[in-house]
Amino acid sequence: MVLVTSVRDYINRMLQDISGMKVLILDSETVSNVSIVYSQSELLQKEVFLVEMIDSISASKESMSHLKAVYFIRPTSENIQKLRYQIGNPRFGEYHLFFSNLLKDTQIHNLADSDEQEVVQQVQEYYADFVAGDPYHFTLNMASNHLYMLPAVVDPSGLQRYADRVVDGIAAVFLALKRRPVIRYQRTSDTAKRIAQETAKLMYQQESGLFDFRRTESSPLLLVIDRRDDPVTPLLNQWTYQAMVHELIGLQDNKVDLRAIGSLPKDQQEVVLSSEQDAFFKSNMYENFGDIGMNIKRMVDDFQQVAKSNQNIQTVEDMARFVDNYPEYKKMQGNVSKHVTLVTEMSKLVEARKLMLVSQTEQDLACNGGQGAAYEAVTDLLNNDSVSDIDRLRLVMLYALRYEKENPVQLMQLFNKLASRSPKYKPGLVQFLLKQAGVEKRTGDLFGNRDLLNIARNMARGLKGVENVYTQHQPLLFQTMESITRGRLRDVDYPFVGDHFQQGRPQEVVIFMVGGTTYEESRSVALQNATNAGIRFILGGTAVLNSKRFLKDLEEAQRISRSGSHMV
Amino acid sequence: MATRNRTLLFRKYRNSLRSVRAPLASSSLEMASLTGTRSGVGPVIEMASTSLLNPNRSYAPVSTEDPGNSSKGALTVGLPPAWVDVSEEISVNIQRARTKMAELGKAHAKALMPSFGDGKEDQHNIESLTQEITFLLKKSEKQLKMLSATGSSEDSSVRKNVQDGVDLEINLGRNRYRPEEDDFGDMLNERQMAKIRKGEELSIEREKEIQQVVESVNDLAQIMKDLSALVIDQGTIVDRIDYNIQNVASTVEDGLKQLQKAERRQRHGGMVMCASVLVILCFIMLLLLILKEIFL
Repeated sequence: MVLVTSVRDYINRMLQDISGMKVLILDSETVSNVSIVYSQSELLQKEVFLVEMIDSISASKESMSHLKAVYFIRPTSENIQKLRYQIGNPRFGEYHLFFSNLLKDTQIHNLADSDEQEVVQQVQEYYADFVAGDPYHFTLNMASNHLYMLPAVVDPSGLQRYADRVVDGIAAVFLALKRRPVIRYQRTSDTAKRIAQETAKLMYQQESGLFDFRRTESSPLLLVIDRRDDPVTPLLNQWTYQAMVHELIGLQDNKVDLRAIGSLPKDQQEVVLSSEQDAFFKSNMYENFGDIGMNIKRMVDDFQQVAKSNQNIQTVEDMARFVDNYPEYKKMQGNVSKHVTLVTEMSKLVEARKLMLVSQTEQDLACNGGQGAAYEAVTDLLNNDSVSDIDRLRLVMLYALRYEKENPVQLMQLFNKLASRSPKYKPGLVQFLLKQAGVEKRTGDLFGNRDLLNIARNMARGLKGVENVYTQHQPLLFQTMESITRGRLRDVDYPFVGDHFQQGRPQEVVIFMVGGTTYEESRSVALQNATNAGIRFILGGTAVLNSKRFLKDLEEAQRISRSGSHMV
Repeated sequence: MATRNRTLLFRKYRNSLRSVRAPLASSSLEMASLTGTRSGVGPVIEMASTSLLNPNRSYAPVSTEDPGNSSKGALTVGLPPAWVDVSEEISVNIQRARTKMAELGKAHAKALMPSFGDGKEDQHNIESLTQEITFLLKKSEKQLKMLSATGSSEDSSVRKNVQDGVDLEINLGRNRYRPEEDDFGDMLNERQMAKIRKGEELSIEREKEIQQVVESVNDLAQIMKDLSALVIDQGTIVDRIDYNIQNVASTVEDGLKQLQKAERRQRHGGMVMCASVLVILCFIMLLLLILKEIFL
């Protein structure tokens, strides 16, 4: 709740003190921030009758001075330029400027310079600079996400911009929560270290006055970790509702774009999956596919009951009741068709790509041992014609990550087979992945085979059997959260920044994953929070990954590092 | 949640920059007026400088210089377009309807309580209130339709949103209105039983009242049908801000293309050609007529 509520509070405060008809002007990033927590009808109730983008509004010449302009934009230099022009040639009666992050003095000076007609009434910083999709999960929706994989020398200015955006986002989250955290980072990741240090500098030195909040008993913890410590989770196929939709179709800002899929009625081509607005989704987003099917059937049955009772209208009272219940009925109908459409599409994809078969092997690779059996299974699937290219690639990658050091000959054989079977495969991608996220680079115990306790635990689990073969994988994040809960996060692996120190356990933890999070991990966090262990976890990342996105980032990084090495 | 107010710093910068700008501006005006008309150089400078030093520049007096080359022209607060008045009227009507509904609720409660009198004046009260409310709602609906008049493209999106907002209000009001109808029906049945016992002439009255109920239900159905077309579905894609922005952008572009097409067609249209040819012919005929008169 906490992140979504903060952003909604910011927007409410922006709009409530300004009376009269308003126009809300956003930029391409804040439009996501706002759309995901605030609906159009709520805007209308606050008398905001026009929403525009700062880019397109420059082109129009029409003057609407009966409207008051409310700007909510990021304080980037491009936005400030456009804003300067628009203030200098004002179209609206009043201008109220809200920035989603910290302004530099020079920027304020420039704006004041352009405000010749004194139309600006207020300039405020409201720190809603992140996309709060779920109660405990946020993202920054960054475009060039692959930069974290490259060493700093390749593109120093690009990496600086990347780090700046991340630091801004993290700072905004803590300002919204009104906390100043103790910061730890993953030792093996340069990008994580850099971001942690720059965040500390911002919070404790540059803007220490702004971050000087009331100290609570135990400081919250910010943990900056790297995606490459757990490359397995984004590669796996998912079987819980929210994660599965993102993996198979794609979920962007809680919207699903179904236009690519066949012929659907007009109102089902783009749908919204938001836990805030959809009660069915809220109770089913973390359930696995089988259970979802049953729940949907139950929902459809309920709906059919209601529809039938609406059919026999005998008396005036019945008519009145029907008219009364009509909006509810229509809403229910829309909801039912949305979920039925989604599940149908996903079933079709599962069938077409033989995902049941593929995913079983994937889960075995991720969770269970047995190199020989794994090799057999992967080879079989590579030979199977109905398995798609991307699935073959994923299988080989998972195998390589797990059995990197065992039996190199068989590993080479798999690489060759992959190259021969998949014409679109870019050679060397698996090796690149190993270079980035191989066993030497990783801190955490990804496969539970590093220390004896974990090995024993795995053996016990193997003997006991699992409830569901397809959801047996636990992301590495789960173990990290457990360590934090027990107060046993190793200083060697996750050092503190500067001279920070934390006694005891923190009560609030924000984990930021450089490189992106997955919905499987956000599910893990939500379930952990539901157990009420006394610690509240919040997860955030530079993007929300599925296997397609993760592979795209890998390819992009590989392409740049190759062209870089040519130049060198 | 933390916020930071930068308005003071902004105003400080703005004021300091304004004082820096003012002497520069007056010097540039001097240059302009010197190169312009020679007469009235003195008074122009004086008036201009006083208007610049005047803090309330938003209502600055009209300067004697050409408004075309003055970039610091006063920002006149434009009058909002006429449809804004209509939308405000609709809001006022809805407010009135709401208070009347509250009254109606009270009147119902009062009528349903056992009383000594016949209850006829309560009935009248209720009927008149009901009619007023229906009338107000119908009027709001008509005015809503008026809102879809012609106008500029951007204005139309604002108008459409205003329409949606008013719809929301009307629907919120309607949901509160409907339960009252049921009570009225129940009450009628009670009275129905009583009146049947009383006799035949009372049964005619009952028929009249049933007619009224049927009429009001029909009215309600009609209004519901009209307005349900404009209902915003909450939680669907139509309720998302980003979706609407994309759609507005594309429809505005489409609208522009259509307008351009229409303009082109109209210009090359046969009608314009015909009309102009006829007018020219008329003039020629008139000329011939005059010439005939002169030379005859």
